[in-house]
Parts: sequence; C-alpha cells; structure tokens
Amino acid sequence: MAAAASSAPSSGSAGDGTRATSKWLDAHYDPVANLHTFSSCVTLADLHGDGDYKLVVGNFGSTGHEMKLKVYQGTSLLSENTLPDLPTSVVSFLMEQHEPRMPALAVASGPYIYVYKNLRPYFKFTLPPMEPNPMEKVVWEQAKEDKVDLLSMKEMLEAIRENAEMPLSVQSLRFLTLDPPEMDSFVNQHKSQPIKRQTVMTCMATLKKNRVDEDAISCLVIGTENMEILILDPEAFTILSKVTIPSVPTFLDVAGQFDVEYRLTVACRNGSIYILRRDSKRPKYCIELSAQAVGLVRIQKNIIVACSDETLRGYTQKGKKLWGVTLPATPITLGIMDEKFQSFQAVLVALANLEVHIYRDKNLVNVIQVPDIVTSISFGHYGREDNTLIMTTKGGGLIIKILKRTSTFHKGDTAVGVPVAQSIKLSVPKKTKLYVDQTLRERESGVAMHQVFQTDLSRIRLMAARAYVRALECSMTPVSESLQEPLKLNAVVQGMGPTFKLCLNLQNMSENRAVANLLICFVYDENRYSIERPFFKAPMLIPGLNYPLATFVECLGDQGISDIIKVFVLSEGNSRPLLTAHISMPVSEGLAAA
Amino acid sequence: MGLEMDPLLHALSYFRRRKFQLCSDLCSQLLEKEPGDQAAWCLKMRALTEMVYVDEIDVDQEGIAEMMLDENAIAQVARPGTSLKAPGTGQGAGPSQAIRPLTQTGRPLTGFVRPSTQAGRPGSIEQAIKTPRTAHTARPMTSASGRYVRLGTASMLTNPDGPFINVSKLNLNNYAQKPKLAKTLFEYIFHHESDVKNALDLAAYATQHAQFKDWWWKVQIGKCYYRLGLYREAETQFKSALRQQDMVDTILYLAKVYSRLDQPLTALNVFKQGLEQFPGEVSLLCGMARIHEEMNNISAAAECYKDVLKQDNTHVEAIACIASNHFYSDQPEIALRFYRRLLQMGIYNSQLFNNLGLCCFYAQQYDMILSSFERALSLAESEEEAADVWYNLGHVAVGIGDTNLAYQCFKLTLANNNDHAESYNNLAVLEMQKGHIEQARVFLQTASSIAPHMYEPHFNFAVLSEKVGDLQRSYIAAQKSKETFPEHVDTQQLIKQLKQHFARV
Repeated sequence: MAAAASSAPSSGSAGDGTRATSKWLDAHYDPVANLHTFSSCVTLADLHGDGDYKLVVGNFGSTGHEMKLKVYQGTSLLSENTLPDLPTSVVSFLMEQHEPRMPALAVASGPYIYVYKNLRPYFKFTLPPMEPNPMEKVVWEQAKEDKVDLLSMKEMLEAIRENAEMPLSVQSLRFLTLDPPEMDSFVNQHKSQPIKRQTVMTCMATLKKNRVDEDAISCLVIGTENMEILILDPEAFTILSKVTIPSVPTFLDVAGQFDVEYRLTVACRNGSIYILRRDSKRPKYCIELSAQAVGLVRIQKNIIVACSDETLRGYTQKGKKLWGVTLPATPITLGIMDEKFQSFQAVLVALANLEVHIYRDKNLVNVIQVPDIVTSISFGHYGREDNTLIMTTKGGGLIIKILKRTSTFHKGDTAVGVPVAQSIKLSVPKKTKLYVDQTLRERESGVAMHQVFQTDLSRIRLMAARAYVRALECSMTPVSESLQEPLKLNAVVQGMGPTFKLCLNLQNMSENRAVANLLICFVYDENRYSIERPFFKAPMLIPGLNYPLATFVECLGDQGISDIIKVFVLSEGNSRPLLTAHISMPVSEGLAAA
Repeated sequence: MGLEMDPLLHALSYFRRRKFQLCSDLCSQLLEKEPGDQAAWCLKMRALTEMVYVDEIDVDQEGIAEMMLDENAIAQVARPGTSLKAPGTGQGAGPSQAIRPLTQTGRPLTGFVRPSTQAGRPGSIEQAIKTPRTAHTARPMTSASGRYVRLGTASMLTNPDGPFINVSKLNLNNYAQKPKLAKTLFEYIFHHESDVKNALDLAAYATQHAQFKDWWWKVQIGKCYYRLGLYREAETQFKSALRQQDMVDTILYLAKVYSRLDQPLTALNVFKQGLEQFPGEVSLLCGMARIHEEMNNISAAAECYKDVLKQDNTHVEAIACIASNHFYSDQPEIALRFYRRLLQMGIYNSQLFNNLGLCCFYAQQYDMILSSFERALSLAESEEEAADVWYNLGHVAVGIGDTNLAYQCFKLTLANNNDHAESYNNLAVLEMQKGHIEQARVFLQTASSIAPHMYEPHFNFAVLSEKVGDLQRSYIAAQKSKETFPEHVDTQQLIKQLKQHFARV
C-alpha cells in the first residue's frame, strides 16, 4: 500500500510520461511484427475457454494483399489463417451455451461473415442479395438475346447510372469501365448469368441476446453500405431485425440485450451520429458533428466521439452535448479502457503526434509516449493479465503494455488554479525620460510642428508625383501601368562569371487577357559584355503564369569591372518601351581562374 | 632656387604625407640613377604596398566556393548556439522577426554594413549563385577571389612596362637573411603582387633564419596559410606567435580563423583572453560584439558595443549598432540621439538621414521627418540608396493614411531597384485593399521568389487566397510562412482556421 501512496503524486503530472513515474509496464514491443490493422479488427478473446486470453488481429498485410487472421498468445504467434478479402471487423461472441464456453470469431469481410470456431472455419454468412435495377435487367435480357449492340448498351447503362436512384450492379459497372475491344468477350461471358446486386459490410458489433452476464450468448449487429443495420441470430444466422438509417454507418456501439431493450449508437459517413432503440424504425436522436467522426466509444451512459477537427466530445444518450476538449493533434483511433478492479473507465485516444492520451470525461489523466503512430488500440484481458493495453502502429509494430497494479488515476480535474497564461509578464519596454521630454516638446509646439509637417508633406507629394511621372514617361518601373498590357518584369542574374545566366521573369497581370507580340531587347556596352540573344520575341503571355526567359551573358575583358545592362520590353510597332529594367551586373569572378 | 632637398629624404617626406604616387616616381628616378640603392628600392616597395594596402583583419569576404565547398565543416547539424551557420538557434534575445527584418541568411539587419555581416552563408548553391542586388538584404557576392584579383593586377595597371619586381626571379633565401629588407619585400609580395605562394616561401625562409624566434614572421606565415585556406595550420602559427608576444593583431587573426572554422565560441574565448592582456581594447571588444551579433545574440552584442563606447566614444560602428538596436526594440527616441551624435561627428550621408527620418517618424517628431528624407534623397549616391529612401517614405505615407502617395513611393522604389521584395509585398497589400486580386497575387509571388527569407509575402498570399476561397493554396502558403517564421502568431492562427475548414463536413 505504501507503493500506492508513493505513486499518487505522479498522477498529478499527467503531461509527462517519463519512465520513472509511468503507470505502465512495458511488456513487449516488436517494431517489425508486420501488423497493419485498425481498432475494429483487433479483439481479445478467451478462445479456448481456459482463462488464457488471446489477441486476434485481422491483418491487412503491408501491401494490402496478404490478408491474414492472426492469433497471438503472449508474445508469440499462435496461429494464422488466410483471409480471402480485406477484413472490416473482427469480433468474438458466444454462439451456444455448451461447456466449456468457447467463443467463436466473426470476421466481416465484403458481403460475408466468416465464423471460426476453435480457430477452424465453421460457417459463412452471406448478406441477402438486393433487388437489381429493373431497367438494367432489361438491358442485360436484350444482350442475352443479342438484340442490342455494344455501344448502345453502354449508352443505356450510362443513362441508368446517371438517372436511376438504384445503383448499378457490379457487373454493369465493370462493363462500363471496359474498352470497346474487350466488351464483346465480357458480354458473352456474363450475359447468361443473372445480374446480382450485393452490398458490403462497413462495421460490426455484438449484442447480448437475453442475459447480461459475461458468458451470455450474443447476436451480431452489422452495418452495411446500403445504409442498413442488421441484427443476426447467433445460432441460425437469420436476420432478426433490420433498420434503415439515413447514411452509411462507420462506427457502431451497442448497449442492452436484444430480448429486453437495446440501444444502437451509429456514427455515419455524413458526419452525424444516430441513436436507435429497440422497435424504432427510424433513428430516435441525431447528433450532428461538425466534422467526421474518427472513433466512437460509450462509457456507461455517455457517448464519447473523437472528430477529425482535433476535438474529443462527450454526449448523453439522448444526444445532448456534455463537454468538448481540443486535442493537441489529429486523433487516429479511439479505445475504451475499462479497469474492473478500481472500476475506472476512461477513453484512450491515439494521436498523430506519437502520444496516447487517456481521458476520464474531459480530464486528461495520463499520457503515453509511443515510438510510432498508433493505428489500433485495445484494452482488456490478455494472457492471464487483467489490464493490458495492446496497440499496433502504422509501421506494423506491436506494443503491449501492462497497467501497474499499484497505479491509480487522479479522478478529478487536473488543471487547478489560475491558468498559466495569466502569470506571464509581457516585456513592455519602459518609456524613457527622453520620450517624456519629447512629448513635452510636442505639447508645447504642436501647432508649429504640424504646420511644418504639412508643408513638407505637400512638397514631398509634389516631389513623388514628379518622380513618378518621370518614371512612367521613361517606363522605368518594372510594372507596366497601361491597361492593355499590365505586365511585370523582374530579372535575376545567376552565376559567377565570366558567363552569367540572365533570367527575366515576365508575367501578365490582367484578369483574362493574353498578351502577344512582345519583343525583348537588351542595351549594353558591347566592349564589356556579349549577349547570346540581344533581341528576341517573347511568347504569348497567358494571364497569371510566370514566363522565365533566360539568356546568357558573357563578360568580356579582364578588368573586373561591372556595368549595367538595360532590358526593354516593347510591343510590336511601337518604339516606346512598355517596361524597362536596369540590371547591375555582378563582378565576374571567373577571372580568378584565368 | 632654394636649397635642393636630398631626393631620398624628399621621397620619404612624400611617403610620410601619404603621397605614394609621387614618392614612387621619385624613387624610380633614384633607382634609374643608381639601380643598387637599397634604400630607394625599399621605399618604393613600401609606397607601392601602401597604395593598395587593405586591412586584412576587417575585410573578409567568403567566396562562393569557400562557402559551399567548405571541407572544414564537420558537424552538419551543430548544437544550438555554437555555430554561425545556423543563426537563430542561440538564445532568443532581442526583438522578433516581425519587428526587426532579417537578411537573406536569416540574421537580423545590422546597424553597420561590413563585408562579413552581409555575405553570410547561403543555404544552397542556387541561393549562392543568385545575385541579390538589394543593399538591404545581402551584398552581391563579389567574393574574396574577385577582390584579390583586382589587387593582384595593380602592378600591371600602375606600371605599363611590367611589374616593378619580378618575384619569380628573386632568390628569396638571400633576401630572407636580411631581416629589414625581407619584411618590406614580404609585404610587397603579399599585398601588392598578391602572390601568396612566394610570400609564404619568403616567410618560411625568414622564420628559419630567425631561428623561429621572431613572432612577426609567424604571424605572416599564418596570414599566408589563412589566405590559402589552410586554417588549422594558420591557427598553430598564430598561437605560437602569441606565446612569444601578445599582440592585438594576432589575437584578431586567430579569432578570424576560428570564426571561419565556424567555432564562434572559441573565437569569443580568444577575445576574452586577449582582453585580459589588453583590457579595454576597442578592436577586441568590437570583434566580440560582431560575433555575438552574427549568432543572433543581439543583447550581448549591445553590451559589447556599450563597452566599446566607454573606451572610444566616437566609434561609428558601435554607435550605429546600438542605435539600430534601440530602434528595433521600440525606443526610437534613444536611437535618434545616437544618430544625431553620428551627425555631429561629421558623418553626412544618405543612410544616416534615412535613419534619422525613420527615427523621427516613430518618435513622433513630425517636423523633422520629411526634411530628413528629402536630404537623404538628394544625398543618395546609388539607385539602391534612393530606393531605400523611397521605401521608407512609402512607410510614412502608409502611416499617415495617404495610400496614393504610398503607392507612388513603392512604385518609385521598384523603379530604382527592381529587386526590392519588401516594396513588392507592400504594393501587393495596397492592391489587395483596392480589390485588384490578380495583381496582388502576382506581386506577392514576385516578392516571395526574390526574397525567400521573408515570411510576409507568404503570409499575405495565404490571407489573400483564403479570402478568395482558395483554401488549398492558402494552406500551402501559410506552411511556407511558418517555415520561415515559426513563431508568427497570425500564421499559426490562420493555419488553425484552415485546418478547421478542412476538418469540417
């Protein structure tokens, strides 16, 4: 107990995850475990009913082609099953009441759920097919009887795709992407098959059937791409319930029991969260997030959601906002931390800045530094340890941490007292005595000062106007004023010499008028420099683009003297230049070599 | 006819009065009469040397090749505050970038223009070979080699019938045995002929002949090594010279070697040790101040300059630097005092009046502003100087709300200096206010391409794009602005706002 007391002060310093005060034991870190997955595809399950919990990961593989269902025991890989497609979700659930209680694994992937028992394939559930578009059906019927040629068939399908509410089948979509020579064989191959429309699963969760116990039978709840939520019977795999929601579900959270009362919380792709109850045909409550949800968890009766605008928010069951905190970086994934012994529940937020933050309500209670960006996070029983945190990283690493039994978390608000910003002193420079004297002078002779200033100002205005007019008359400015050809020129000299590269950047500043027929001419001392192209025609200038026009200048003579080169931009048939630039050339350093 | 002066004495008198050409001519006549006259020969050498003499300590510009192909640089990523190559990593003393503008290499503008503060070390070859031509941002890279060449050809220019002494035909070993003659000859070869190799040979023979006991020759060998780029060898020579004789010059050379080796802290130590021997020596204090300034430690530099002024209250560099420091730390009235002091000391140029005008403006002494600028304009020697004056007048015009005058002033800046990025940026802001989006965009793009070290064009571009609704471009520009000035609060806020936009559904 003394140890517990000693670790108590460290809970105050939530910000520093230093090793000495850490609440976590580093059990295992394998940076090359080759685990590429997300939180929905990671689960912890007592697969053999012996109290030794295993880690089940639906792995995407580093290239997204080697999909595997991996099971870890301790720090080693126990088994590996190849998956036919990318998994979208992996859950474990009890199918029947037999002893010993051995949960089955359900892997949702495409339109199928693969059920594994004792790590062996057991059953494959397929989502019921959907009614295809009748017009599409007609088109394929015609194709079957060779009544329609390929191009008109393509046109018809495209028209259906554009107009019809019901989307096309995979077969038609595939056909539309083909090049004309490939179409014929494709149609011949597929015209005899009936067209099918199949949806896919986007998320999956479990729901207890009729008892609250840990080892009660659970139903599977799945969300599909055609905006439906289905609840499946665990034994017969029949659809017990079906609800349509306004958008495609992405995250699913379930509470309650199927036979009694349950509540579904669904985060959707349109940035809204819908809350449904048993027997409701439509969503009961709707939370409109201002950004996309990154993760959704439920702690007791509150919904906690992390959004892509770097916020973490808490809502009640009825969709009322309780709190919101700003995260220091973009959240990547969310997990729930349910520590049974102290009945401490918090939310784990993996951030893009290589940290995992633990929030209890809106209070940050702990920060874990991680070596890589965490993409999946799960907390629970692993092996024989109760409180284990398992994370996989973007680079394919596996991190296992164990919560120290002695560590406690501060439950209250960590930020007490005045905010830090209040005590920072601003370094405002002191006003000097000199300044005070000057203000005195201003006060005494304010009128005179003002008069002098105004006279001077008028004179300066006149001077500026004169100089400006002179500059305009000689077209001295690098920006032309004429309304027909608003141009801008600037020159850069590159190189050390004796050969320099002279780069003119010519740009047309008008809104939408191109400028053509421009000539560029250089004037220089021919004894000192020779220019490759002293006179050339500029290309047509499109508005808004920068035209770099380069030419080479060679410095003649060995005097080490630099001179000015003048550049004129002229329009054809007009001797007055539009623009002028004076380039003072640098001294040639190439002489050193000579 | 009065008494005819002895021609040698006459020549010597010319030499003392710094009429070197006359002295050299007279010596030539003497030598024609008597070719073996060592005194005349020696005097002519000294006169010719003095004509082209440049103080080795102060004038130091690194050429492009030396900067980019520096093989002495070992640590590419130096620890903060230990390198001249990464300014801004030191203690964050002094005003921020938003108040005090930076030069191209990321250092705050200095109050006093000197070769080494301006050249800096460019980050890339591309940046190095571009020739910036704004006196304000960075100097044209007329490198060391270019300057030495001009000096080297001095012998050809002054004497159309060939050099005075044909160094390659001399028996250096012979001359090395005559210490007095050897020293003059060495200086002639080193400064006038710029023939470092032969100068080194001569110095090597001489030091051998002096049985390695003459510190002067060691310093000269060090100078030769330094010129040849053999810094470590130069360091040993200077150190050994210092063991024999403490000299301010040698200390300055040694510090120069260290700063070239990018070891500013060691250079500072050398100065400190030197100050123990020569307490209150102005050139040492000044050297320290320069190194502090180059490392962006402005407040330490200001302290050193204050020490300089305690010893020598007419030190122009110190006064100018302290003044600019006060100006940029929001005390223009004190800066005004310092600049007035410079004026009283008899400095009368465009830059000074330019600064006086600005100080008056910010210290609210309105009656003096415009007359100062007027005088600065009339005193401006080059177009670049005039451009700077117009630019500042533009600032005054913006300050009194006369955008028309401001527009004309900034345009005139550009007419005088095509590469004035700051005025491109300010013009863009004026165009933005008028609603000429396209023109503003072009100006900002130009400004950012001319001066990649400025954050303002990027930030303005981000704001402009954000207003138009082009969030993608705005974000890219804001990121660039953040890169050049990470602490800029407005940029941070803009980025935050944009991120919210992107995250929103």
